[in-house]
Amino acid sequence: MNPETRQKIHEKYERELQRGERFWPDSIFKDAIMALAIFILLILLATFAGVHDSPKADPSDTSYVPRPEWYFLFLFKFLALYAQIPVLGKIEWIATALIPGLALGVLTVLPFVDKSPRRYYAKRALPLGIMGILVWGMLWLTILAEYPTVASDGSRVPGILQAIAGILLPLLAYTAFAVIAYTLKERAPRAILFTGLGAGALMAGFSLLSMALYPPSHKETVEHPTGLVDQIVAGQDLYSIHCLECHGEDGSITVIQGVPGLEGKVISPINSRDVLYTVNDASMAQIIAYGRPDSGMPPFGKAYNPEGLTRAEIDYIIAFMRYSWDDRYEKPEIKPLYPPLGAYEVPSYEVHIAPIVKRYCLSCHRPGKDSNDYFMDTYENILHSGDNGDRNVLAGDETSFLLQVIQGQPILNPDGSEEIGVMPPSGTLKPEVIEVFHRWVLMGMPRTAEEAARLTWPAP
Amino acid sequence: MSGPNRMTRRDFIKITTGAIGGVIAAGIGLPAIGYLLAPALRQDKAGKPVIVAKLAEIPVGKPYPFSFTVTRVNGWERTANVFGGFVIRLSEDPQDVRILSSRCTHLSCRVNWSDEAQGFICPCHDALFDRDGKVVSGPPPEALGHFDYEIDDQGNVVILPVERKTE
Amino acid sequence: MRNAWQTLFAWLDERLGLHSLYQNLLDRPEPRGNWWNTLGSASLFLFLLQVATGIFLTVYYNPSPDHAYDSIQYIMNEVAFGWLIRGIHHWGASLMVLVVFIHMLRTFVTASYKYPRELTWLVGVGLLLLTLGMGFTGYLLPWHQMAYWATTVGTQIAGSVPFVGEFILKALRGGPDLSALTLQRFFAAHIWILPALMFALIGLHLYLVIKHGESHFPDKDD
Repeated sequence: MNPETRQKIHEKYERELQRGERFWPDSIFKDAIMALAIFILLILLATFAGVHDSPKADPSDTSYVPRPEWYFLFLFKFLALYAQIPVLGKIEWIATALIPGLALGVLTVLPFVDKSPRRYYAKRALPLGIMGILVWGMLWLTILAEYPTVASDGSRVPGILQAIAGILLPLLAYTAFAVIAYTLKERAPRAILFTGLGAGALMAGFSLLSMALYPPSHKETVEHPTGLVDQIVAGQDLYSIHCLECHGEDGSITVIQGVPGLEGKVISPINSRDVLYTVNDASMAQIIAYGRPDSGMPPFGKAYNPEGLTRAEIDYIIAFMRYSWDDRYEKPEIKPLYPPLGAYEVPSYEVHIAPIVKRYCLSCHRPGKDSNDYFMDTYENILHSGDNGDRNVLAGDETSFLLQVIQGQPILNPDGSEEIGVMPPSGTLKPEVIEVFHRWVLMGMPRTAEEAARLTWPAP
Repeated sequence: MSGPNRMTRRDFIKITTGAIGGVIAAGIGLPAIGYLLAPALRQDKAGKPVIVAKLAEIPVGKPYPFSFTVTRVNGWERTANVFGGFVIRLSEDPQDVRILSSRCTHLSCRVNWSDEAQGFICPCHDALFDRDGKVVSGPPPEALGHFDYEIDDQGNVVILPVERKTE
Repeated sequence: MRNAWQTLFAWLDERLGLHSLYQNLLDRPEPRGNWWNTLGSASLFLFLLQVATGIFLTVYYNPSPDHAYDSIQYIMNEVAFGWLIRGIHHWGASLMVLVVFIHMLRTFVTASYKYPRELTWLVGVGLLLLTLGMGFTGYLLPWHQMAYWATTVGTQIAGSVPFVGEFILKALRGGPDLSALTLQRFFAAHIWILPALMFALIGLHLYLVIKHGESHFPDKDD
């Protein structure tokens, strides 16, 4: 840059200062309003959006699918798409190190590459076009990160569409820019503008096409218990499913009954001070995760079984045990399992039956248990699964097997032997829980709270 | 144009800017005070009553040592602190009982009963307390603390795990 | 009549140079600006807010695999306004990345990186990288599943660089695996090393901004 150009730049800037403003208070006033707006936005986000943590880190749970922070998502998607490219896709470091490194390098040395004194937009079509395509591409890659690269049926079409939008089209646009800038010279800006707009529209088009044809796979969003009360309740549910069969509802069982393979095994009660005072949380977690082979306790953690309990889930069980049985802990107020029924209220699957079943039935009646084939994990399964799927739950029928067995009436075979014993096998349900089942079956098994609200239980 | 009492646009901008700064500082500063002082403002829960001994097993006259743990929640951790004391039966009357803390009132060392001295000796600075916990010699400023207690139906000595000053 | 305040000010001014500070730092002429010009100071504001809330968080946070998660839950559930302080820090991080990025884009679009402000841009790129570094190191600290596994993958990516990959991976993790050492060094980087560098670069950046003045919006003559 020659001295005259520099001189001109400085003179122009002086003129701009002449008709400008003062830093204090004019500029700072605007800065302050901006700061206040940001501050209010942050308080609103902290209050209404909050921060959602996943459960505690569990190095043994290798099945966890992580996602980076949103501002790294575009790189994340770029890597996924790049890996789909034949041959070149195998050379991982090109995408992980070389390309981001080059991009950063260009960004760093930008003022030393683009040394022309021109600043007006229309005179800078090439750099603006390059940056525009880059930012537009990053935007679409970020959005596409929510969408599958490989479709659920194994089709690679979404990945191909996305790679066209996020990699191929930008490359073509850049090539076109270079050619245009080199050949058209004077008339280049307009051509670059239209090429850029066209490429941008195509990028959006291919992205939207992929999004429309291959929507994101449905992910179950699980709310993780964070407060102590939620953790104790989660622990109680997990305990009911995994531990209750052998240890009993209050952990007091000393001889296991009715569990295949462990029948008659003598165990120590786990609700005693002997256990609770001498085994600390870490050791307790180890015992639950890895089992106690010498005393028959199987491992429940993820180390032996990918479907096993996570470290966080084990912690919830321990919290439940401590706060329920350890007299050094004060149990906080815990909401009832289901809202108590009014005199004429009809229970629903959603609000009443699901939590009751989870607590009292699911430990045996779930897929993966071979002692029976009646599964109670979903609404449909409760109504139809198992050998007696047509007899277990019948709308309005007092003789539904489910109602009989929970009220102490075993179902007998024609020869008088027991086909289904009373349920639960040890102990009985509380009368109010039986009443919930009773009303629910007699009123036709409403699924949602709305369906149940339309019904009225006849006056007693 | 504007008189001496009229606020100029410039002044208005300056004052507004200052006010915004103040609002932001207060918006982060006031919650921060509560945040930093939260542990000090927390109400500590009184411990549950603890059974320390069976009255029938305690000889009359000789102080009977006991200890108990109190679990305190500090932040996200539970700390079990061991406290100790002595049950002293003054006569056969089940109500004639005194329960002293074993924490020396000087620097919180644990005092022991000494048959020779017929008093409690603190090993740290050779302080001596008499059977009632009163200071006989040494640096302690006041008598040993005591615990409130009751004798339940099964004849257990049940104390409230809060040390109280002995006047 | 000089009152006490004026006397005090004169005394301080003679020793601190308050008046020339005021003239050089605050009472500067500037080209007519618009709201796009506030993004730089907005980045600074967010940085200072992150510093303040970050310092508050370290009062309760414990950087060890055994306690990190529990201490964060404690902040969120037990400490008065803990949810607010952490919420501002969490969302402020995202917003800072966004604002810094848009600030950079604005500089690019108005070609403000050109003579005589090349070094301001260079320092700015450094600040962008440090901001992303803060985001990356801060993400691990709550030690939850997402943080743990995202950082595992993130460091793995850094480890894919040819020849020096394994070296970088071990340097980042403090060993072959993600462990207590990783958490400790990410914590140190997040609260000491990166912020110290950021303070230095921000100081340089601001000095350059004041030295050359804010660039004006280009018109047809530029």
